[in-house]
Amino acid sequence: MLIFAFRKLLTLIGTMIGIAALTFLITNVAPGDPARLVAGPNATEDMVATIRSEYGLDKSLPEQFIVYMGDLVRGDLGQSIVTTRPVLEEVLRYAPATLELVFVAMALGIVVGVPLGMLSAVYKDGPLDHVTRIFSISGVALPAFWFGIILQLMFAVDLGWLPVSGRLPLVTRPPEAYTGLLLVDSLISGRFSTFWTSLQHIILPAVVLSFPCLASILRVNRAEMIEVLQSDYIVAARAHGIASFRIVGLYALKNAMLPTLAMIGLRFGWMLGSTVLVETVFDWPGIGLYAVSSALSSDFKPVIGVTLMIGFFFIVANTLVDLAYAWIDPRLRSA
Amino acid sequence: MTGPLLNIKNYRLDIGTFDGPVHVLKDINLTVNRGDTLGIVGESGSGKTVLVRSVLGIGPKNSKVIEGSITFDGQDITALSERDWTKIRGIRISMIFQDPMTYLNPLFTVGRQISDVIAAHEKAGGQGVSSKAARRVRTEELLDQVGLPNPAMLFSQYPHQLSGGMRQRVLIAMALAGKPDLLIADEPTTALDVTVQAQVLDLINSLVEKLNLTVIMISHDIGAIATIAKRCAVMYKGEIVEQGLTADILSRPQHEYTQRLLAAVPDIDAAAAKVAAESSPANPAKPGALLQAIDLKKIYRSQSGTEFAAVDGISLSVKTGEIFGVVGESGSGKSTLARMLLRLIEPTSGDIIFDGQSISGLTGEPLRQMRRHMQFVFQNPHSALNGRHTIGDAIGEPLHIQTGMSRRDIEARTEALLDIVQLPKMFKYRYPHELSGGQKQRVCIARAIALNPRLLILDEPTSALDISVQAQVLDFLQQLRAELNLTYVFISHNLAVIRQICDRTIVMKRGEIVEQGDTEQIFLSPRQDYTKALIESGRKTSRAASLGPRADRIR
Repeated sequence: MLIFAFRKLLTLIGTMIGIAALTFLITNVAPGDPARLVAGPNATEDMVATIRSEYGLDKSLPEQFIVYMGDLVRGDLGQSIVTTRPVLEEVLRYAPATLELVFVAMALGIVVGVPLGMLSAVYKDGPLDHVTRIFSISGVALPAFWFGIILQLMFAVDLGWLPVSGRLPLVTRPPEAYTGLLLVDSLISGRFSTFWTSLQHIILPAVVLSFPCLASILRVNRAEMIEVLQSDYIVAARAHGIASFRIVGLYALKNAMLPTLAMIGLRFGWMLGSTVLVETVFDWPGIGLYAVSSALSSDFKPVIGVTLMIGFFFIVANTLVDLAYAWIDPRLRSA
Repeated sequence: MTGPLLNIKNYRLDIGTFDGPVHVLKDINLTVNRGDTLGIVGESGSGKTVLVRSVLGIGPKNSKVIEGSITFDGQDITALSERDWTKIRGIRISMIFQDPMTYLNPLFTVGRQISDVIAAHEKAGGQGVSSKAARRVRTEELLDQVGLPNPAMLFSQYPHQLSGGMRQRVLIAMALAGKPDLLIADEPTTALDVTVQAQVLDLINSLVEKLNLTVIMISHDIGAIATIAKRCAVMYKGEIVEQGLTADILSRPQHEYTQRLLAAVPDIDAAAAKVAAESSPANPAKPGALLQAIDLKKIYRSQSGTEFAAVDGISLSVKTGEIFGVVGESGSGKSTLARMLLRLIEPTSGDIIFDGQSISGLTGEPLRQMRRHMQFVFQNPHSALNGRHTIGDAIGEPLHIQTGMSRRDIEARTEALLDIVQLPKMFKYRYPHELSGGQKQRVCIARAIALNPRLLILDEPTSALDISVQAQVLDFLQQLRAELNLTYVFISHNLAVIRQICDRTIVMKRGEIVEQGDTEQIFLSPRQDYTKALIESGRKTSRAASLGPRADRIR
């Protein structure tokens, strides 16, 4: 198991280098002269040339790549033109908000999706199964921005139950930043009212973000459960007198969790990407919003920074899924 | 303690399908007394599995009892609630299953699975669940009882770490966990190797004696039934056509179906006084070797770097016109060998020579051309045909790929091929699921001979088929060889079948040849211990079935 984990770690590093190389290539292959872009529309040829040598853009591509990778290893993601601050610092400042949103949405997807999928499989073609089917098809089909706005109109504007947008009201002082996750920090500092407010703020965006993810987890889990429940070892468990509840909830679920886990890993990366939309709708101060505003002002270093960050978390999440696979399935450990 | 333990009376069961109800069980009457050992014989689809599963309340979902009742120890269990079942299922009646590979949950340790069963029983018994340690002790006891070495280590192992025979023992241990009154064994040996089969049957026998078990065993293998069961019932198309003492039924079968079934069992001790004699003068002109393998090796490397030789340096030579047998247990490398001969699997090293030409270096077009002359028939006809292609498409496919024949010519050739394999021409419009197993295997053979090959490699062509069908297919293969001048490489784990049809045979074990020579010679005077053991365990089940007057059956 340890060797397995170690090997996964090596793959993680390899993939990371791959992603870095890919983002470098894309920015360099993309049309347009970055130096001119940085210099702005009114710059003279001289100014562009100065910037070009200053940023090392006059060197050959391989040379640039080495410099770029070297910077990356040192944690230098360059500077934002708009704020003139290091990109890494900014990305790290915005990342917790996004991660908090994604974690809550993912938890929602798993906690609701897995049991619903299980129940739909057990009561296949019953009323519950039909309801979840409609529910999950609409989950995948509804565009996030539209769904988000509808929820805002319903729960925030009409009913007034929940806040429209943001992480915390302007008047509330944020809790001391231990982790950057408001829900956790407020609990650590014992400020339960702040915990409550931030929970209210996160509900709507998390629901919007988790809906498609929940739907696909539900469907995968249902399909897998149906298959597993027909397998021979389940028949055997019944014949040996094991209680139905235990068979479904433990014997079958553990087997059905394998493909569901793969879906969870994939959806995690997808979620990080779609925060761009959800954060814009809900004015959520995370890396998605940061990427959008940077892109709008042609500030390309932050965009690369965010891409790398999302890539990094995506790989980490999938490595964790791989490890969980091996933890669940003994047959994979020896491989 | 009076009255029978199990009493099935006028039991009729329908299964609802898309096309309306199917009468799966028709008027079943069966009684089992304490201490009885009852065998139920029947081919696939005869309803035997449905019957015993009904006894355990785990019958198919959409089934419906039309008439009759099942009484267990005086209690009517025909329409028991799920709650009441928990007191009986697994505790008073328990079951062991056909395929130990699929009936154990792959994600839980052996110990966990058995102690869960114990816990479930304790809970149902209402005496409260005992401690983990106590259950562990009991589990290890059970594992020991079924003859598994080192129960303490086994406790924390996963199913995939055990061999088939060990897994079957684990399943038996699970079934014994509740000290059942009635043990149902559903084809407990079918999926196992010959030598392991004999061991498992011995184990069941010794347990019957030791624990005074009442056993119902179902099987399509009369030999296995005869080793275990004193009484026996024969099922055919949902009915019990005959029941009585096993010895009586074997020696004086009354029903026409039973007679047919017994006649079809190949006998390991019967010499094939046979076709070999007539086939040798058929090709006197070409005594040379059609296919040769020289020091063939296939080595697989696992991710952790350990090497495993599936086939380890095999040389053989198949003469034109003969049937060349390959015997061995699962894992002996016989299928890998067969696939390498056709280069469906790339050998690691060694040379294959077909008709004087080395084919191991061939690629692309020459290899494709070469494959016209050598064809493969797979073990399981149910999965070897594409369910979405008609039979006509399946047989015509090689003609499409390998020849420039017109659509009409292919059509005509397909009909001719169906004729050769003795199937009606109209079958070309049918789909595989509309055919029986034996018919499907004939279609596979028709597809294999479509290009007039010279060599057929048959990988266990009859082991997925019922015994009576097996006999037909074997007869048919021998006829076909004489008609079309074919050479066969015939792979099987069934020694009786090998003896019946092969001219020369090799015995394989762990990727190597342990013995080779004339088939008759191998069977009459085996030189290697492994061959002797193999024949002996094959004989154990075969001989039991041949308690009857043998003279009737040979001719």
